[in-house]
Amino acid sequence: MLALVRLDGNAHGMIVRREIEERTGRNISIGAVYATLERLEAKGYVSSFTGDPTPERGGRAKRLFRVEAAGKRALQISDQTIRRLTTGLKDRWRTI
Amino acid sequence: MSRSSPPTFACWLLKTVVPTPYREAILGDLIEEYTLRTESTSRFTASRWFWSQTCRSVPSMVWSSLRSRDCLMSMSIAMSVYIVMEILAYAADLTISKWVAPQPTTHVILAPIIFLTTTAIGGCVAARFRPGATIVLALMVMITVAISIDLKVCTIPVPWWYEFGFLTLGPLAVIITPTLFGRLKQRGAVT
Repeated sequence: MLALVRLDGNAHGMIVRREIEERTGRNISIGAVYATLERLEAKGYVSSFTGDPTPERGGRAKRLFRVEAAGKRALQISDQTIRRLTTGLKDRWRTI
Repeated sequence: MSRSSPPTFACWLLKTVVPTPYREAILGDLIEEYTLRTESTSRFTASRWFWSQTCRSVPSMVWSSLRSRDCLMSMSIAMSVYIVMEILAYAADLTISKWVAPQPTTHVILAPIIFLTTTAIGGCVAARFRPGATIVLALMVMITVAISIDLKVCTIPVPWWYEFGFLTLGPLAVIITPTLFGRLKQRGAVT
């Protein structure tokens, strides 16, 4: 969902996969990306719409995703929770 | 296979496994990336990447399919097709044993032809409704043949390879025939 926010809406699966790969260094499959996006869509956090078919895609249409208001709220809550949980732990990282 | 066309079997596997709402999008994404990769690297490297993406996507897609009840639909289609297939095979078998060839030897020769024809037709019908149903149908055929062999349904003594042929060629006919018909159709459309 963070990748979708970074891509500023209108992103399709392969772009999301590339973004995650570049930022995390983890090689993930396109299937895993779509399975996650499908779950997020079922929860109402993201929405999708079909783009136009292009010849370089073998005449297949893109499925474009964007983050919805509920998704943005969920992200903010997660961010605040992580911040609260990690506050004051900076010095302890060195000892762990 | 042209320079920019991805591995055919990998595409077929994805078409079969990926749930309908995302099938076109996933295939399109992979084909687009594959085309870009063939321009910057060798076709072998691009194909290897395509295969790795396919193999790693299949488990998550199967799980997603099970969650979305897509699999239940495939199973019910496969079951319905299987019942029709069995009725057809039984009718053909009955006709042959009663009127055309009452001798057991002729029956042994004709039985595989009836079996393969009905499984091939079944595969085509299942694929027309839902590509995923062909895999389920092939598994059903394999399981029932294995049970028939184990229960020794065939009373006529036959060599092991005869039964093994039923076990392997039946599921293969279910899977391969729709793909072959699809390719023939594509060629027909091109010419």
